[in-house]
Amino acid sequence: MFTENDVKQVLVIGIAGGLAQLLSKKLNTRFPNAKITGVDSRTTPKPKDIQNLSCLTLKYSRTEFEKLFRKNKFDVVFHLGRLSHAQPILPMNLAQKIEFTLVETQKLFDICKTFQVKKIIFLSSFHVYGANADNPVFLTEDAPLRASIDFGNLREVVEIDFTATNWMWKYQNEIQMNVFRPCNIIGHHIKNAVTTYLTTKYSPYPIDYNPSFQFIHEDDMANILVRAILEVPTGVYNLAPDEFISIRRALQICKNGGPPVPLFLATAFASLLKKWYSALPEYFLEYLKYPCLIDNQLIKTHLKGPLFFHTTEETLKAL
Amino acid sequence: MLDQLKFLLEHLKPNPKKFDEIYAELHQGYHPRKDPWGLNLKKHRTCFELIWPLYQYYFRVKFHHPEHIENKPYLIIANHSGQIAIDALLVMAAFLFEKHPPRVVRAMIDRFLPKLPFVGELVSEIGSVLGERQNCLHLLDHKETVLVFPEGVTGIAKPSNKFYTLQKFTTGFFRMAAQKEVEVLPLAIVGAEEFYPHVAHFPKIAKALGLPAFPVTPTFPWLGPLGILPLPSPVDIYVGKPYAFPKTLKSDAPDKDIQKHVTKLKKQIQKMIDEGLKQKRNYFGEVERVHRKRR
Repeated sequence: MFTENDVKQVLVIGIAGGLAQLLSKKLNTRFPNAKITGVDSRTTPKPKDIQNLSCLTLKYSRTEFEKLFRKNKFDVVFHLGRLSHAQPILPMNLAQKIEFTLVETQKLFDICKTFQVKKIIFLSSFHVYGANADNPVFLTEDAPLRASIDFGNLREVVEIDFTATNWMWKYQNEIQMNVFRPCNIIGHHIKNAVTTYLTTKYSPYPIDYNPSFQFIHEDDMANILVRAILEVPTGVYNLAPDEFISIRRALQICKNGGPPVPLFLATAFASLLKKWYSALPEYFLEYLKYPCLIDNQLIKTHLKGPLFFHTTEETLKAL
Repeated sequence: MLDQLKFLLEHLKPNPKKFDEIYAELHQGYHPRKDPWGLNLKKHRTCFELIWPLYQYYFRVKFHHPEHIENKPYLIIANHSGQIAIDALLVMAAFLFEKHPPRVVRAMIDRFLPKLPFVGELVSEIGSVLGERQNCLHLLDHKETVLVFPEGVTGIAKPSNKFYTLQKFTTGFFRMAAQKEVEVLPLAIVGAEEFYPHVAHFPKIAKALGLPAFPVTPTFPWLGPLGILPLPSPVDIYVGKPYAFPKTLKSDAPDKDIQKHVTKLKKQIQKMIDEGLKQKRNYFGEVERVHRKRR
């Protein structure tokens, strides 16, 4: 573990995202003397309320990253940049997506090692476990990653998790790294599939399945990421509060339940549904049918004290 | 005639006071939104209010030796019979209606059930949980009483010539009980095999349809959904003495050590079944004069 004084320069990849901006704000409060650099392939105006943050628009390539790392001596790197399924920004097919995400991520990790970064924090997702009828409650970190068995477009999510964890264990003696698999992150700044589903007026209201969901507030998520720098040792961690809620109840709280839909029919017509309701990725229907609840015991062994300051109901009401 | 019908309906209606008492106690133990498997006490009540007349008047369930049950969690094991898991529902109902304090028995269910639309949700709401080792251990951690059928599908989906003959017991349940130091409570269910007295099985059709079994009876599938209606065979549930395993036995002990205890339990249940068959009631509720010979 390194100390507070070692955190002098931080790189946040994917700064255009809501969580990354929130994280930068919290980093600025927690480490007021640290210089924060945010990069994204999208143009991002610098948020006015974060003093030590500088934002750069950067093509995610080895050359560009190497240039950046030569100019700066980063101590901590947050990798929050992923291709969104809910709001695709780049017209890519699956093969291109996998190529882009995997190759570029691998290169980035190698650069971090070359330039002696002290810690990498990589954000994966609970989606990697897959929503399966035979999922136990709760899924621990060593559960098999089965998301891509039924849905090819989740292959990139699973493979990037594999790449990150493999790389982490290979170089565990040289560089500290955390791979986080958070449950559904929701909040005002977040634009992911589940937030879109919950906040859209005509979201299908499932009548034949009602699995439990876990939601983490964006604020709590950002706080955990900041604390992870100094408090969480190398490893893979699930992130979820103790609370869970059925998806129907969540929709009722958000007051956005649309037409009642039997999901077994919706699954059969998923491709048609996608045309009508493009914000809903096909795989998401599976998460509305079967539970994918994750276990949070491991992270609690390292992060003592309260972790979740927002109840699920509060979080959903505020959406 | 109308008076008779009114009398019958009055009797079929469950006693709301009794249900109020049961659920007032259950609500103390279960927070409405604290069950990750989806138990919903409101729906549980609705469901068991519907089951009660069937339990009382259709299957005329008798719950023998409830005095063996103490106020603590158990891992219940029982023989599985009757082609569809009505026996599990009747055991759940017995622990709700016949024993104080009432408890929600968490039945472990087969993997294909949660996949079924509507059905998957309903079985979760009444407290059933996917038969997965991790789920069972979690439930035992939470001091819940869990119901396991160690014969699995091979037990429930038996052809007529194997009725009341216990099939191979899996050993996982015993390892879990040993790991969590929970006593095993053996039950014998007599009468459920006669729900569908003549059954043949077609494993190839079951495999093609993605089902664990495909039973064919004189009424199913010929009469469609109506053919599923079970015959009103009276059911006797015998509660055995809890099985206290040696404290020195570890959950990861070699198979032969575990198997020894599982075989003992299997023999205990088979003995209880054989004893129960001597007192078995026929469809009219009378004890059968000719003892059935176990085939």
